[in-house]
Formats: sequence, structure tokens, C-alpha cells
Amino acid sequence: MKKKGKDKEAIVYATCAIASFFVFWWFITTFTAASKTTPGPWPVVQLLVRSFSEPIGKYTIVGHLMVSLRRVAVGFGVATLLGVIVGIAMGTSDWARAIIKPIFELLRPIPPIAWIPLVILFFGIGELPKYVITGIGAFTNVTLNAYTAAQNVDPELIGAAKMLGTDERGIFFRIILPSCTPQIFAGMQVALSTSWMAVLAAEMVGAQEGCGWMILRGNDTLNITLVMVGMIVVGVVGLLLATIMRKLEGRLCAWNRMDS
Amino acid sequence: MNEYAIMQRKKKIKFAIVSSISLFCFFLLWYVCTAVLHLKPEYILPSPVQVFKAFIVKLGAKAPDGATLFGHIAASLKVALSGYLLGAVIGVPLGIAMAWFHKVDLFMTPLFDLIRPVPTIAWIPLMILWFGIGLGAKAAIIFVSAFVPCVINAYSGIKQTKQVHLWVGQTFGASNREMLFTIAIPTAMPLIFTGLRISLGTAWMTLCAAEMLASNKGLGYMIQLNRTLARADLIIVGMLTIGCVGIILTGFLNMLEKKFVKGGRRG
Repeated sequence: MKKKGKDKEAIVYATCAIASFFVFWWFITTFTAASKTTPGPWPVVQLLVRSFSEPIGKYTIVGHLMVSLRRVAVGFGVATLLGVIVGIAMGTSDWARAIIKPIFELLRPIPPIAWIPLVILFFGIGELPKYVITGIGAFTNVTLNAYTAAQNVDPELIGAAKMLGTDERGIFFRIILPSCTPQIFAGMQVALSTSWMAVLAAEMVGAQEGCGWMILRGNDTLNITLVMVGMIVVGVVGLLLATIMRKLEGRLCAWNRMDS
Repeated sequence: MNEYAIMQRKKKIKFAIVSSISLFCFFLLWYVCTAVLHLKPEYILPSPVQVFKAFIVKLGAKAPDGATLFGHIAASLKVALSGYLLGAVIGVPLGIAMAWFHKVDLFMTPLFDLIRPVPTIAWIPLMILWFGIGLGAKAAIIFVSAFVPCVINAYSGIKQTKQVHLWVGQTFGASNREMLFTIAIPTAMPLIFTGLRISLGTAWMTLCAAEMLASNKGLGYMIQLNRTLARADLIIVGMLTIGCVGIILTGFLNMLEKKFVKGGRRG
């Protein structure tokens, strides 16, 4: 009973907050000097609806989204796979750590966006540079998390398994890999949002399609409504990606929830 | 035991040597690919020697991008720090207020959730429109990027406070304010610093993007301009400088953390 009252209160407050946000937006874009530069909520919604059927540049908004999502999927997918392998190798083997870690530490502090100019010089402005940039964004996060996770596997578990006669392969697949999974997923969460951000930057610097291009196109043609539509779409899709990731983690790491 | 310690030490030395060899091989491979085999033209992949030379020259020369290396670093730092400090000064208290006062939480959280998913880079055109192309717009973009992690971490830090500790405070007659300042905030300190560290990283990364799109000075501008000039040696100098400054800033923050979180360290 009490909980229901609380839920109600939350809903009322949330509605008030969101409503006041839109009223504020509408107010400053109608009655103040901001109206000259900034569109109000209504034109943005109109353009958003229209952009599903009318193309902007080469594609409709769905097409641009698909392009951006494909770039993230390829870069993120390959980088995650590599990151997990490199990270676990570094965490489990002294040799791998000694060899890889200095180079990794040398390159890690460089943000993915700072790679864009060099990557464009290397690979031109086709699809490959976008994959590389989104990949760099994901790789460092996943590798770092896989590495710390693999280092912190409970040695008692490994000892127990050895005592019960598990071979090396069994230890790796039955103990090390599963106990790293939650932290790898935490890394993938961060990595996915970094990739999503990196793809925008990459598309802003050199592309003819994609969400980042759309936002920059709005900027270049002084079509701020288009910029805002782009921001909304990018935000919603980013939120969806994060939610899917979290759901996936809930499924795969259900055992981890139990004892925490 | 002693023997074990010696063995550990020997192992450590052995792997330190392996590490140095690995790093050396990395540079050697780079050198061989470029200066000996010429796999790629010089303007795309310069040799490490050339990069080093470019670095030395860039320390004093303004060509070709209008400022010395230190000039770019100073410009970037000015923008990054002003936006970052603003984000921290507003974000941390807001996060604390959201977690401590129920009404603020109910009202601000939906608003915050509305803004948060938009990646900072998508804000760049809007900020340039509102604040012009100068310091203001870039600082505003960095503000957004720093603000979000600060709020989230301060929020979850305060929420982490153990109810038992608050009860103890209440039993001894602490006021709401005293409980906030002597129990909740010290508990939240480590997480607040985590937030500050994360937002420093994102701020520094966002800065590069902002400067690449609209600027006439700064490290991001430097690497972007040198791309159009096909001066890969200067791009690499710029990238490494961005990395180094990032490390130095993080190190500075870690020092601050050690100083401030001392009292709150548990166990």
C-alpha cells in the first residue's frame, strides 16, 4: 500500500520535471532572443517524424542509424573479442603480461578520438577507418577489465579444481573465463558507449552518411532542428544499446547476482 | 620464506627485462618498417626518429599550425580545466543533493536521465551555436562531459551510506545537516573521486573532438590540421602529448585523492 503511494509520488514528480523541461524549452524559444537561433520542441518533433520517410542526404534517418550501428557493431565486436583474448592472456600469463603490457600502457592513454587523423591518413575515408576508430574505443576498456578480472580470480578456486584433477583447459574454461565474465561485461558496457561516441566523432570528421554526419550536416547548413533531431535519435539509441547490454549481462551472469 | 622472496625478486627482474625488450622491439619494428623497408610513404607513417625530431622542432617552432607545442598544450589545458572544474563544482553537489533529499531526487533524476544518454560530442554544434567558437563553447562541451560522471558517482556514493551509521548518528542526536557532512559525504568520498577521475578522462577526450571540429589552437586542432597537411610525424607527436598530459592530470588527481580520502579509508 505504502509502496504504491511512493510510486505515485515518483510518477507525479517525473511528469512535472519532464513537463517543466519542455515548457522551459518552449518558453525560451518563443519569448526570448534564443528564438532566432534555437528551434522550439514542436518543429523538432515534426522534423523527427518527417525524417522517417524523407531522406536526409543519402538515406532516411533509419538508414543513417543502420550505417552507424553497423560501424559500431563491427568495430566493437572485433575489438571485444581481441580485448578479451589479450586481457585474459595478460592476466593469466606472466610472459604475456611482460611483453604486451608496456606497449599497451604506452598507447592506452591516447583517447580514441585522437586516433582519428592518423587513422584517416592511413586508411582513407572509407568504412575501414570507422571500424578501426570504434574498435580502439572498445578495445582499451575491454582489455583493461579482462586483465584485472583475470588477475583477481580466486586462487582457492583454482587450487580446489587442480586438487580435484581438472586439467589446464578445464581450469581456463570452467573457472577463469566464467569468473571474469561479470567484469568483462562491465568493461563492455563502457566500451559500447565509448564506441558509440567515437563513431559520431569519426563521422563528423570524415563521412557522407551516419548519425554523426547528419548532426554535422545540420550544423553546416545552419539547420539546428536537424542537429536536435540527431541528438535525440543518438541519445535514444545509445540508451537502448546500454539497456540491451545490461539485460544480456543479467542473463549471462545471473549466478553472480545471487550472492551479492 | 627468504628464499621465496629472492625467487620473487629474480622473477620480477626477469620480467622487467622482458618488458624492456618488448618495448624496444616495438620501436625497432616501427623503425624497420619505415626507415629501412619504406612500407608506407613518409607522410603517412614516419619513422620514430622523424617523430622525435619533429617533437624537438615543435618545442620551439610555430610552423605549420600557428603555435608551439607548449602553446597548444596551454590552450587545451585552459579549455579543459575551466570546463572540468565547472562540471565538478556543479556536478558533485548536485549528485549529493539528489541522493540526500528525496524530493530533489524525484524531480532531478528524470531530467538527468533525459539529458544523460546524448553523447557529449553530439552537443558540439549546439554549444557552438549558443556560445560562439571561442573558449565558451568548448568549455561548455567539456562541462557537459565532466558533469555527468560527477553526478552519477556522487549520487551512488551517498546512496552507499550504511543505514546503521545514520541510525547511530540519529541516536546521538545529530541533525540532518551533521549527518550529511560527517557521515554521508565522507562515506561517498572514494566514489566521488572515482567520478572525478572518470570525468577527467572523458573531458580530455571530448576536448580533442571539440578542438578538431572548431578551434584555431590546441592539441586537437594541431592533429587535425596536420592531417590536412599530411604531416603524420606531427600528428603522432600530438597524440603522444595528449596521452602524456592525460597521464599527468590523472596522477595529480590521484595525489589529491590520497590527501583527501585519508580520513575516510576503511579497514
